[in-house]
Amino acid sequence: MSIIDGTGAGPETLAGSGAPHGLGTSVPSTEALAKTQGTYPYAADLWAEGLLWAAVLRSPHPHARITRIDTTEAAAMPGVRAVVTHEDVPGDAMHGRRVADRPVFAGDLVRHHGEPIAAVAADHPDTARLAAAAILVEYEVLEPVTDPEKAFAAEPLHPDGNLIRHIPLRFGDPDAVGEVVVEGLYRVGRQDPAPIGAEAGLAVPRPDGGVELYVASTDPHADRDLAAACFGLESDRVKVVVTGVPGAMGDREDSGIQLPLGLLALRTGCPVKFVATREESFLGHAHRHPTLLRYRHHADAEGRLVKVEAQILLDAGAYADSSSDALAAAVAFAAGPYVVPHVFVEGWAVRTNNPPSGHVRGEGALQVCTAYEGQMDKLAAKLGLEPAEVRMRNVLATGDMLPTGQTVTCPAPVGELLKAVRDADLPPLPDGEDESQWLLPGGLSGAGEPGAVRRGVGYALGMVHVLGAEGTDEVSTATVRVHDGRATVICAAVETGQGFTTLARQIVQDVLGVDEVRVLPSDTDQPPAGPAARGRHTWVSGGAVERAAKMVRTQLLQPLAAKFGMSVELLTIADGKITSYDGVLSTTVAETLDGKELWATAQCRPHPTDRLDENGQGDAFVGLTFCAVRAVVDVDIELGSVRVVELAVAQDVGRILNPRQLAARIEAGVTQGVGMALMEDLRAPRGVVKRPSLTGYPMPTALDAPDVRIVKLVEERDVVAPFGAKAVSAVPVVTSPAAVAAAVRAATGRPVTRLPIRPQAAVVKPRT
Amino acid sequence: MLPSSLDEAVAALAAMPSAVPVAGGTDLMAAVNSGLLRPAALVGLGRISEIRGWQYADGAALLGAGLTHARMGRPDFAALIPALAAAARSAGPPQIRNAGTLGGNIASAAPTGDALPVLAALEAGVILAGPDGDRELPISHLLTGMDPMRPGELLAFVRIPLLHAPQTFLKSTGRTGPGRAVASVALVVDPARRQVRCSVGAVAPVPLRPLEAEQWVAGLIDWDGERTLADEACTAFGEYVAAACIPDQPGVELPPAAVQLRRTVAALSRRALGRALA
Ligand SMILES: Cc1cc2nc3c(=O)[nH]c(=O)nc-3n(C[C@H](O)[C@H](O)[C@H](O)COP(=O)(O)OP(=O)(O)OC[C@H]3O[C@@H](n4cnc5c(N)ncnc54)[C@H](O)[C@@H]3O)c2cc1C
Repeated sequence: MSIIDGTGAGPETLAGSGAPHGLGTSVPSTEALAKTQGTYPYAADLWAEGLLWAAVLRSPHPHARITRIDTTEAAAMPGVRAVVTHEDVPGDAMHGRRVADRPVFAGDLVRHHGEPIAAVAADHPDTARLAAAAILVEYEVLEPVTDPEKAFAAEPLHPDGNLIRHIPLRFGDPDAVGEVVVEGLYRVGRQDPAPIGAEAGLAVPRPDGGVELYVASTDPHADRDLAAACFGLESDRVKVVVTGVPGAMGDREDSGIQLPLGLLALRTGCPVKFVATREESFLGHAHRHPTLLRYRHHADAEGRLVKVEAQILLDAGAYADSSSDALAAAVAFAAGPYVVPHVFVEGWAVRTNNPPSGHVRGEGALQVCTAYEGQMDKLAAKLGLEPAEVRMRNVLATGDMLPTGQTVTCPAPVGELLKAVRDADLPPLPDGEDESQWLLPGGLSGAGEPGAVRRGVGYALGMVHVLGAEGTDEVSTATVRVHDGRATVICAAVETGQGFTTLARQIVQDVLGVDEVRVLPSDTDQPPAGPAARGRHTWVSGGAVERAAKMVRTQLLQPLAAKFGMSVELLTIADGKITSYDGVLSTTVAETLDGKELWATAQCRPHPTDRLDENGQGDAFVGLTFCAVRAVVDVDIELGSVRVVELAVAQDVGRILNPRQLAARIEAGVTQGVGMALMEDLRAPRGVVKRPSLTGYPMPTALDAPDVRIVKLVEERDVVAPFGAKAVSAVPVVTSPAAVAAAVRAATGRPVTRLPIRPQAAVVKPRT
Repeated sequence: MLPSSLDEAVAALAAMPSAVPVAGGTDLMAAVNSGLLRPAALVGLGRISEIRGWQYADGAALLGAGLTHARMGRPDFAALIPALAAAARSAGPPQIRNAGTLGGNIASAAPTGDALPVLAALEAGVILAGPDGDRELPISHLLTGMDPMRPGELLAFVRIPLLHAPQTFLKSTGRTGPGRAVASVALVVDPARRQVRCSVGAVAPVPLRPLEAEQWVAGLIDWDGERTLADEACTAFGEYVAAACIPDQPGVELPPAAVQLRRTVAALSRRALGRALA
């Protein structure tokens, strides 16, 4: 059997001196060319001889008892090779990222709209879909629990109960009061990660009774273990091969796809392929937690924060997934990057029959940022202070304590970031001469009228943690091999578009002085590297690559150094040449290798962290990163349409490893944040997802995306991080929506307490 | 099937009644791809050059059903029928405007079809080609289903009276990038007939004509004089139109979304009238 897959096509290296190489330069992204030319292979492009096509039957109801499943008619259809339901799961019936609470297929109870019930393999995709539709399922429709506030008292939706996690945080004196008190209620909607390429995969049975899954996984080893448990196989009999990842804002490839695929391949003995429709993609994968936040801020007369009280309620949807992590971030960062002596938070993640929530960049942190920054604006208004000034009086710095009792030991240049965006030039007002040239809210051909447009400026400060929190074992392993003056990196860290392969090349170029570096595609035969999330791979996988490369370097130079009686440190490698500090010794890498191959494997494991205790206290985070955003918006105050004119960003990055990639990550993050601020909300009234399509779910286009101006990148190295670099992608996503909301507040004088901001919240009613 | 004339296309449809015509395919192919529609055959209209342009007849323009939004958005067309050009420029992103056609917009008859309120305000006529010859009917009869398209018929032309009169089209989407209308207003000030004609799109299944508001405001205009109105009159007109399109329900308070929609229609109508009279 031959598999023409996308994974073998290794990245071409852009060699040749003159081209940028090494850390700190804008080495072009490894796959940029192939992606631009449309030749980069994704999972949907996979093919294997004799493959079958899968289709998944999903529940049309958010909550229902299944009284009967009859697959006879579907199984008898010509071309159908297998039909599987919950009865055909040989291994563990339940799975999950943190808690095994989710069935592969719903058996007796459906808990969300779109939950998989059965899967079919057939010789044609249409046959598979028709057969799936021909499966008879009898439901007893139940009342869905869709209001998270009602989940506490509702009948349990699951044997585990409806409360997934509760974190109370108690820090300081509960009786402390401030001279000024402001209160607010905030709501954040359901953002979909909406990856540009929908989920797809290929499962290929192995002669040894195992199976290979070709999927765009972002955490191949975790996905392998989960799949093996459900298939009832040892994990070494399941191999996950990572294909081109078409966009990942969180976990990719929801298990509702890879598990049925594997089961069908094992059942039929044939390769089975699946390509999700966009509708299935919207129904199946995890979304950002819709959140309800109640806040009370106390401050003294000078605007210094005295106490923050908050209640945070995350709607987890039907299954636990990573809601526990999202809640920890929400509770820990509930007061934001500000110094607050007394903080009291109650956080809950509850189960409902709404679409599943899970890991989407900046989860938990984004929602609280919206709320605490809304509160800072309220405080400023009440005290008659400038919004930037009130923030400046409270900023956190290195050495201060988080409300979790953890002391901030990493760089925390929050004040410097705020100052940078505050002092940056404002974008000019449109030139009054020619009104037709203005890009007004409402767009080029819209109804905008200059006389009704108000400009507003708003600020937000955001923070996220880097790496998994609360005791997650954040380890990664990498291997570096040098041969013929070239280097190869083997690491299971997935290139999701975040630039890991480019970074790995840069690291090896720096350490070993070779230009040509190849990064092999990831699979689970390699040692685990963990999920591509929370900026992990720059830190742990980048760190592992660096260590392995340094070990190879020592192996390479040791004999030379010994021969010439000098220490390895006195030798340098650059452009394939080895020279000593005094210039006496000069040879080439190739000559020194003399046909030998050098290999080294290393691990990077940051210091351990604690789980938050029953008072929400503990050193839960390895690292933190901060961002300040200033938003400038134009609002048509009669129509409530908003145009984001510019977002100025200042970010704490530790160290710039690749300027171009860094800027691209910030721009992408800001744009995703603008989507959250203005338009993205997957609606599911009564638990049923409405308009799950890219027409029904609007996202920012080039015209909606603002000018993104990076006004400052603070390079204060984080000494515990490899290279001193911090994760950069999530914090602009977290901070931008709050900044846009603040700017709309400034333009309209309206409270703006809900994301996305609906037009009616940005309308200024005429005084009557 | 790719006929090169209207007659051939009509014959092809007559020969295979289950076939479906396709112009730009921007609506149809989306329905096919998502499995909503499985046409037995397609009759492509893209090669019929006679419906890709326009001609003049008796003080009217005869627009081919195959005119694309992109073509209608160009300056020469905009000089002819400014409101329709404005609607065409706002109908989706450039890729869609390059392919999507006037005929497809009418035949799809989506509530958010941007050409529709303009055609209603201009009191356009549609010319249908069928096995029994051509027939012409007012656009409103087609859209409201009073006189629907019959099997085997094709939309061939749209007749638009050429008015030397101001006309505007305003669309609110709530965003800056391309999007479907939340509400749209087309407005024509017609001095020859001393009429103001206004049509509101996207708030109902078909474009709405607030006739009373039209007559009321036409009565305020000094047709022989300056043809201007005080701001208060424009504002009152906007509110009149909005209340007509989103009426109060006796005994119940309007839900917030309806209040916002009404506010939007009022602002658009006021702006449209103001711009038409400016
Ligand atoms: C991303 C996107 C954005 C869009 N945005 C907008 C928007 O902002 N505003 C808007 O108004 N529309 C929008 N549309 C809808 C669409 O582009 C327009 O309605 C367009 O005018 C349809 O024309 P078409 O030629 O592509 O029609 P087709 O898809 O070819 O046909 C549509 C229907 O009309 C029938 N038909 C076509 N021509 C004829 C004819 N001559 N005689 C009889 N029947 C015919 C077809 O059989 C079919 O039923 C959008 C579509 C997409 C995909």
